[in-house]
This record gives sequence, C-alpha cells and structure tokens, in this order.
Amino acid sequence: MSEVIQKETMLSFIDGEINSNADSVAIRAINVRGKEALENTPFPTRKDEEWRFIDLNTIKKNSFTAVSEANAVDVGDISNHYLPEALNTRLVFVNGIYNEELSSISDLPNHVIVGNMSEYGDHDAVKEHLGTITNYEDDAFAPFNDAAFEDAAFIYLPEETSVEAPIHILNVFTDADKAFYATPRLLFVGEMYSKATIIEEHIGLANNLYLNVPVTEFRLFAGAHVHHARIQRDSKSAAHVSRPIAMIDRNAEYHSYTICLGAKLFRNDPRVIQNAAEVDFTVDGLVLIDGDQIADTHSIMDHRFPHGKSHQLHKVVVNDNAHSIFNGKIFVAKDAQKIDSFQENRNLLLSENGKVNTKPQLEIFADDVLCSHGATIGHLNDEEVFYLHSRGLTEQKSRELLVYAFALESVESMEVESVEKLLLEEVIKYTTRD
Amino acid sequence: MLEIKNLHAVVEGEDIEILKGVNLKVNAGEIHAIMGPNGSGKSTLSKVVSGHPEYEVTEGEILFNGEDITELDADERAHLGLFLAFQYPVEVPGITNRTLLREAYNTIARANDREELDPLEFEDYIESKLDVINMKDEFLNRSINTGFSGGEKKKNEIFQMAVLNPVLSFLDETDSGLDIDALKVVSEGVNKIANDENAIVMITHYQRLLNYIKPDFVHVMMDGRIIKSGDISLAEELEANGYDKMEKELALNGEAQ
Ligand SMILES: Nc1ncnc2c1ncn2[C@@H]1O[C@H](COP(=O)(O)OP(=O)(O)O)[C@@H](O)[C@H]1O
Ligand SMILES: [Mg+2]
Repeated sequence: MSEVIQKETMLSFIDGEINSNADSVAIRAINVRGKEALENTPFPTRKDEEWRFIDLNTIKKNSFTAVSEANAVDVGDISNHYLPEALNTRLVFVNGIYNEELSSISDLPNHVIVGNMSEYGDHDAVKEHLGTITNYEDDAFAPFNDAAFEDAAFIYLPEETSVEAPIHILNVFTDADKAFYATPRLLFVGEMYSKATIIEEHIGLANNLYLNVPVTEFRLFAGAHVHHARIQRDSKSAAHVSRPIAMIDRNAEYHSYTICLGAKLFRNDPRVIQNAAEVDFTVDGLVLIDGDQIADTHSIMDHRFPHGKSHQLHKVVVNDNAHSIFNGKIFVAKDAQKIDSFQENRNLLLSENGKVNTKPQLEIFADDVLCSHGATIGHLNDEEVFYLHSRGLTEQKSRELLVYAFALESVESMEVESVEKLLLEEVIKYTTRD
Repeated sequence: MLEIKNLHAVVEGEDIEILKGVNLKVNAGEIHAIMGPNGSGKSTLSKVVSGHPEYEVTEGEILFNGEDITELDADERAHLGLFLAFQYPVEVPGITNRTLLREAYNTIARANDREELDPLEFEDYIESKLDVINMKDEFLNRSINTGFSGGEKKKNEIFQMAVLNPVLSFLDETDSGLDIDALKVVSEGVNKIANDENAIVMITHYQRLLNYIKPDFVHVMMDGRIIKSGDISLAEELEANGYDKMEKELALNGEAQ
C-alpha cells in the first residue's frame, strides 16, 4: 500500500468542509478562489523566513469547526462595548456573522454605505475591488478567509463625503462547546476626497479557544483621508491571524493604529501600498502582552511612487513569558524618489523570561530618500523608578506609572475620545498587577 | 530630628566605600549647608539618606525622629517627611508634573492618615503653590523635567518640595544651573518653605547660595566624611582659600587621616 505524504495545509486544522452559502456572485467568486489557493498552499513552518520565530501551536495543536457546528452560546447584551460616538454608525458581527439586531446604521450621510456586504453584492465597488489587493504571497490565511467568509462589512464613501461619526465595526466572539473559526471581512472603498474614521474591534466575550482570521481591505482614491484603529481584545486563549491591507492614491492619507491586548497567538501583517505620488500613511502599533501571549507583527510599507511620507511607531511591552516579534519592511522602488519614511520599534521588557525579536528591513532602490529606522529593547530605567519612588510612590506604583507613560503616546493617537478612555483603562489593567 | 551616626556606605555589590563614617545632627528649625569638593560624597550622602537602592549601608545608623530608617524603602522615608531635591533631576517622559504630584501628595497623606485631596481640591492646592517660585500653570501639564532647561529642572525640584511640604529636605546643588534671577527666586521660595518645624540641608559647591539662604551651620565634607563644622564664616573661609588649603591645614593638625 503506498501513501502520498501530504504537506500540511490550513485545512489540516479545520474540522469539516468549508461551506459558504453567499448569494452574491462576487463573494462566491472569492470563496472559490480561496478554496483553490488553500489546497495548494502549505501551512507555514519554522523553516519559512517569515515564520521563523513564531510558535503556531495554538493553531496546529487544535482543530476548528465552523461556528454552526460549535454550539456557540448566545451573544447576550453587549451594549457595554458600544461607543457613544458611534451609537448609530455601528455594525456588529458575532463570531463572524452579521447581527442586524445589534447593529445600528441610521446616522449616515446620503449615499454612504455601511452594511453587510451580502446585501450589496452587486454594488460596483464590491465587484470591482473585493479581493483585488489582498495578494499575500504563499499565504495560507488570506485564502482561508477568502474561502470561508459569507458576511462582511462593506463601507462605501462617495466622492467628497465626510462621515463625521466614527464607524464602529464590532466583532465579538462568544463562548462555545467546540473551538471554531471565524473569518471577519471588511472592504472599505473611499472615493476621491472622502473622509472617515473606522474603529475595528475584535472582542472575545469569554476565555475560549477560537481562530479569528480577519481580512480588511482599504482602497483609498485620490485625496481620501482615513483613520483606521484596530483594537484586538480577543480571548486570551484565541488565535488571531490578521491581513489588513490598504492601497492609496495621490494625496490620500491612511493612518492605521493596531492595539494588541488579547489572544494567545496574534499574527498581524499590515501592508500599505502606495499607488500614486504624494501620499501620507501611518502603520503604528501598540502591543501589551503577558502570560504566554505571542504577538508577531510583519508589516510592509510599500513605496512605489515619489513623494510619499510614512510613519511607523511600533511599541511593545512584554511581561512574564510573553514573546513579541516585529519585522518591519520598508520598500522603496527605484523611481520612488523623495520618500520620507520613519520607523521605530521600541520594546519594554518587564520580566526575565519575556522575549523580543525585532528586525527592521529596508529595501531601498531609489537614491534620494530619507528613511530612518531604529529598534530598542530595554527595561525600565532605574533612575526614573527611583525618582518617582523617592517622592512617596511605592516601587510597584512607580513602575506601573512608567509603563503607562510608555504606552500613552500610542493611545493618544486614537482621536475618538471613548476609544482613548477605553484603551487607557486597558493599559491600567495591564500595568496593575497584584 | 535627623541624626546620622558613623555612617558607612558602599556601592551595592561592590567594595568601594564612599561614605566613611559620616556624623551629622539636624534639629527642627535649622538650615545646614554641606560643602565640599567634587567626589567627596555629598550626593551619595543625600541618596543614602533618601533610600537609593544603589547604595548599601555597611555600618552606622540614620535616626529620624529617633527611629532607625536605614532599612526603610524610599517611599516609606518620603512618607515620614524626607525629601531629596536631586542634583540631576531625571526626565520622565509621559508623566506630567501634575500626575506625579497628585499621586505623591495623596500617597503621603494616606500613609499619615490625613485626608486625600480629590482632583478639584488638589487643583486649588497646587495652584496656591505655583506662586512660591513663580511657576506658570502650563508647567503642570508638562512631562516631568522633559525638555526642561537645567534651571527649570532645579526650580521644579523646589516646586515639588513646596507641594509635598516635607519635614526634612536635602537640596543637592540646587544652585547649579540657575542664573542669578532664578537663584533669587528659588532662594526666596526655600526661605518661604523653611519654618520652625522643618529643616533643610543644602549641598553646595559655592558660597553664593548661602548669601540668599542663611545657614545656621556649615559642614565641610571630604573623602566621605564631614571633617569640619562651623557657622557661616567657615563658608567664607572656604571661598577665600579653597578646599586644598583647608585639607592641608587639617592634615597638619591631625584632624583628618
Ligand atoms: N554608583 C556609583 N558607582 C561607583 N562609584 C560611585 C557611585 N556613586 C558615587 N560614586 C563615587 O563616589 C564618590 C562620591 O560621589 P558623589 O557622592 O557624587 O560626590 P559629590 O556629590 O560630593 O560630588 C565619587 O568618587 C563617585 O565617583
Ligand atoms: Mg554631587
């Protein structure tokens, strides 16, 4: 009897068939594309350069079913997670499935669309842009989302429309009998000179294991300005693998901030692709991890045209046995002159056993550019601790304040007051230990 | 109030002895000045008294109101009313002066069973202290010492002293970094804070500061010991003749080994 040794794929950890029943032709086409890619893409191993440091056991040692098979508990009342600024600009997805009852989108300017994509499957912007920029090479995760998603957040801004209220995309995950997978999807299309703030949240309501594989696509046309905050507060047992990508045109600004607080395993590969000259973008991150958490950010800032300005401040605090990995790639194409790119990765290690891997990676083929990068790994400064301590604060309190101060800068970029407040509370929760 | 007896201290984990038998007694209502050449151990003395973990006391004791405080943590000493104005105040980005002072004030109040101040009450209180050394309001919103000039940092130390209202303050070279205008303002502030119930130990290299804050006692520190004590005339003598001459004289008289 001969046996063909099959390489592991994403499907090796999925229990049952992946069946999506999307009505939309556009979504179904992506589902089919995803399934094909999945079968042909090996699951990453430590031998792959981009996966060298990360321990994927939270996925590999488990198997995940569709939500429908997991006997998930009812979502219940989640109004404590609503943002006061976005009371009527909110979409709620429970375990990746759109929940109309909990969503509220009554407060939108004319012709702006914020809704479940399956209702807008025939919209030109969906047909034209869905799945067009998410080509992560040799990737098992974006195709998994492609294959499995049915519902999705769809945000469409016509030319010169500005949405005042932040748009809240609230993904919550409930407890369940079995470990399940979820594939939240978000497509944002901003036509010329449109403007919006998007708060994308992932919240685990219990401590269960699940696999969250979101894909977000942001297509910004000329002059569009978007502020995109991503707050990851998944269950501390969960695995979360994210593919957020943006492509931006001339005079566009895309500022993204990813806050990582939850998940046992977090892998995030943000990418911004410059699609014309004169852009400005941000790929900031704040990671606060402890226990056995793993957080890995592999970002790409892809400068393909002249006169781009980009900024990345990736701040990390590691406690206990947690492990942070950062690989920040800055690409500058041959003709992309006058690029002004800044990257900094600052790591604060609070424990003996915490681990940090950091690697800036610059690939610059233009000669007239300004690219700076730096990475630091440090402990709290003893003199700073003593200064506060000598003023009457306990040593513990002094340390907490200093960690708080370290994280503060990233929180202050949030622009939405309630989000800032919520994050400050999270930071205090993280720094305060007993 | 403070009694330091035969204090010896080393750098934690190393053999180098920096304080080699310091004796000093300070009573309520007194202002003392400690002068001495660079490297004689003045800053180390102030840090050891305030509980800096970098140093280890190997012999002797520090009595504060009769209680030996050598084993206390820095915050516990602050709760008893000890304060150190640092020679080199540390920059702490991200924490505002207001945050530190409110946290410090209330922690000390709590430790002494006094009422804490709520944010509004604290605001009134801290405003009233700004005048002590002509500080502007906006200063409270700035991160501790971050981007401050040398003079601003020193002023900030005295401002903190005014807010925390300590019983015993060590002012380590508060005059360095101050121009003559700031020196006058800061001195005036210190004089306002000084009263019959508290005490101040100034560490300085020059006699100048002592023209504005009049000490009751002047001590000369050399090589980890206080080798001579007297009144203000001792400072004048030092200014006129320098430390070298005094060291030689003392050696001749057999007062220093
Ligand atoms: N942490 C330390 N490690 C090593 N040497 C130190 C340390 N702190 C102080 N010293 C040494 O102790 C001596 C006294 O220093 P210091 O107290 O700062 O003097 P002063 O304030 O009188 O100028 C100096 O020789 C200094 O180098
Ligand atoms: Mg000194």
